[in-house]
Amino acid sequence: MQFSIQKDYLVRSVQEVMKAVSSRTTIPILTGIKLVVTDDGVILTGSDSDISIQSFIPKEEAGDEIVEIKSTGSVVLQAKYFSEIVKKLPKNTVDIEVGENLLTKIKSGKSEFNLNGLNAEDYPHLPKLEEHQTIKVRGDLLRNIIKQTVYAVSSSENRPILTGVNWKITNNELICTATDSHRLSQRKSVVQSDFNLDGYNANIVIPGKSLNELSKIIDDMEEMIDVVITDNQVLFRTKHIQFFSRLLEGNYPDTTKLIPTDMKTIIQVNSRELLQAIDRASLLAREGNNNVVKLEIIDSNTVEITSNSPEIGKVTDEVVCNKIEGEELKISFSAKYMLDTLRVSEGSDVEISFTGAMRPFVITNTNDNSILQLVLPVRTY
Amino acid sequence: MQNYYPKSGRVILHVDMNSYYASVEVANDPSLQGKPLVIAGNEKERRGIIVTCSYEARAFGIRATMPLWEAKKRCPHLIIRKPNHELYRKTAYQIFEIMAEFSPILQPVSIDEAYIDISNCSHLGTPIEISEKIQTALLERLKLPCSIGIAPNRFLAKTASDMKKPLGITVLRKREVPTILWPRKVEEMHGIGIKTAEKLNEISIYTIGDLAKANEYLLKQKIGNYALVLKERANGIDEREVDPNAILEFKSIGNSTTLPNDVSEESHLIETLKLLSDKVAMRLKRKNAVAVTLQIMIKYANRKMVTRSKKLFNPIQDPQELLHEAVDLFMKNWSGDPVRLLGVTAHEVINKSDAFKQLNIFNYEQDIKDEPIVNVVEKINAKYGGNIISKGIRSDVKDEKQMLYEFLKSKMEINEN
Repeated sequence: MQFSIQKDYLVRSVQEVMKAVSSRTTIPILTGIKLVVTDDGVILTGSDSDISIQSFIPKEEAGDEIVEIKSTGSVVLQAKYFSEIVKKLPKNTVDIEVGENLLTKIKSGKSEFNLNGLNAEDYPHLPKLEEHQTIKVRGDLLRNIIKQTVYAVSSSENRPILTGVNWKITNNELICTATDSHRLSQRKSVVQSDFNLDGYNANIVIPGKSLNELSKIIDDMEEMIDVVITDNQVLFRTKHIQFFSRLLEGNYPDTTKLIPTDMKTIIQVNSRELLQAIDRASLLAREGNNNVVKLEIIDSNTVEITSNSPEIGKVTDEVVCNKIEGEELKISFSAKYMLDTLRVSEGSDVEISFTGAMRPFVITNTNDNSILQLVLPVRTY
Repeated sequence: MQNYYPKSGRVILHVDMNSYYASVEVANDPSLQGKPLVIAGNEKERRGIIVTCSYEARAFGIRATMPLWEAKKRCPHLIIRKPNHELYRKTAYQIFEIMAEFSPILQPVSIDEAYIDISNCSHLGTPIEISEKIQTALLERLKLPCSIGIAPNRFLAKTASDMKKPLGITVLRKREVPTILWPRKVEEMHGIGIKTAEKLNEISIYTIGDLAKANEYLLKQKIGNYALVLKERANGIDEREVDPNAILEFKSIGNSTTLPNDVSEESHLIETLKLLSDKVAMRLKRKNAVAVTLQIMIKYANRKMVTRSKKLFNPIQDPQELLHEAVDLFMKNWSGDPVRLLGVTAHEVINKSDAFKQLNIFNYEQDIKDEPIVNVVEKINAKYGGNIISKGIRSDVKDEKQMLYEFLKSKMEINEN
């Protein structure tokens, strides 16, 4: 195996597959990156067995030569060293050659590294997915979906299924739901396909960690991304990247019944103004018990945000709302949960619907009904 | 009378009950009077260690912490009683009530000792007269002997009460510190254990006098900031107040137990954790408090001790929830080796009314069964202002009797270990 490659392409691909490489793995060879050179280009693979990422560097792109292939072949190189080496190489071109005993020479300008390689045959095979129906989602939409839901997944292994985001597809409608049982986020969207999606059904749970990594490597926002779903794997595929993730086993709880409908109080407010007031109030709450702030309607268009930590002090803030309807309200909640929730709205106007001081409240976007978020308040004992 | 009191400064008494458990037993059973008596746990359950012994037993060379078999060897006609903690607690309560008749500035520090600030008690007599009255009252009304130290601060009072036993009254003045205290070895000083004494010896500090004159930098390097406190004490300085409210402050509530024999059977250990969690839960409930952090303690047969704690997502009080968390911690940290002692402690105990519970979407309905009541309470309070009413839960957090009881109980558990 011998080839020359433009350094920028190599660096980018290595960084992409590094997202899947973990130093803590039970399979030693997975601490490496697999390089495979074919007649078409170079394929890099990284994996921690939950997530596997494959990045393809074509021989040429838009008429420019990226890789000059002298001979095909494969090798596995220690990811920790290989990724640092390529980043720091001095010239724009890198020559890589595998010699005897898989000793791999990496050369750029006057610098030369010789790295011990491992046999690529020993590297686990990526799952082979049978593609019956491939769904298509635009890059920017996928990234939004992830951002708007993954914040609500559980970080505790008490109920492992809640560490993932539920993707439920019926016909061409995708509903993504995440909850750690204290707050919930649900995002609806429409997916496309080259096939007719009538009657199509899928119900999977993707680990939150996988989605976080995936959103980092979606860069071309307008590109359509293929989504292939099987019983235990999901594949996201762009032109150059294949991102495989294991799915969580088990049934995701039915959340449809959990969303309240009998609203007693509704306030409409700018999400940024409310967010900033809660952020200020939480300055004093952070040290105290559970980071709790209190929201109270004080007149026809104002809510008061307060927090009281007996040992530190008190804070009072007021937010003028666009509209307040319904019963009086005094409710306490975790500042952190509410801040996470309001960040999703990116400064737009939101409607918050309350069903009582000790019941879940619902946050929706005034101009966009695709997102629904829910937060459970705290109560005193 | 005022002449007997310092113009600026305090008069502190330290009252120390003499061989308390044994004395309580004698007071309750006059037939034990004048006989060698020891209080010890069940020999078969390996608790056969002497907790307290009467002065008559001491004459045979018997001391607390001595194994029962050894004591029997020294004195074959020794009378042995099992500890009756409930009785000792009840009696302690009566003792503190009698002390409180003299001055309200009373701070119990364990089941059988307390500090009393009598700086403003000149109307009752001289400090020595007051001490005699306290000693007589305890002896006549409860048949219990005590020794009393009189001094300008807590440290000196405690040191003084130790000088004459039983039934002593000793005055220790600050000016007597160089002659009385300084010639003594450091390990004889209150607040210095064997380990600290060894460290002090390493830097050539052997007597309390050496400590009083020691180089602060050296001391701090060897022992840490606590050394500076010790140096002050060695000079007869102690600014600590006698704080009657000290017993009201509970940072943690814990129970532990030594197992009858070394146990490595999981179900048996979990059963023990259940008993301990139940006890902790009961005490939390009595205090109307909740635990923010839970800690377990495992002492193995080889005496290696492990403590592990966990911050809880929601503060808890319920015995089942406490057990669940305790078992979770235990299973994650138990090596599988035989266990000698287990403990469960609630840390960062806070008042229930200051605690919040984050509701859970899957089960909040259960948590808000009392919603209609809470709503009514809210409305009434809103209408009339302030917290006119609160829900029908016990709010006896500041019930001093209860607190004293809790305090004595917590002290007792420390003694048991």
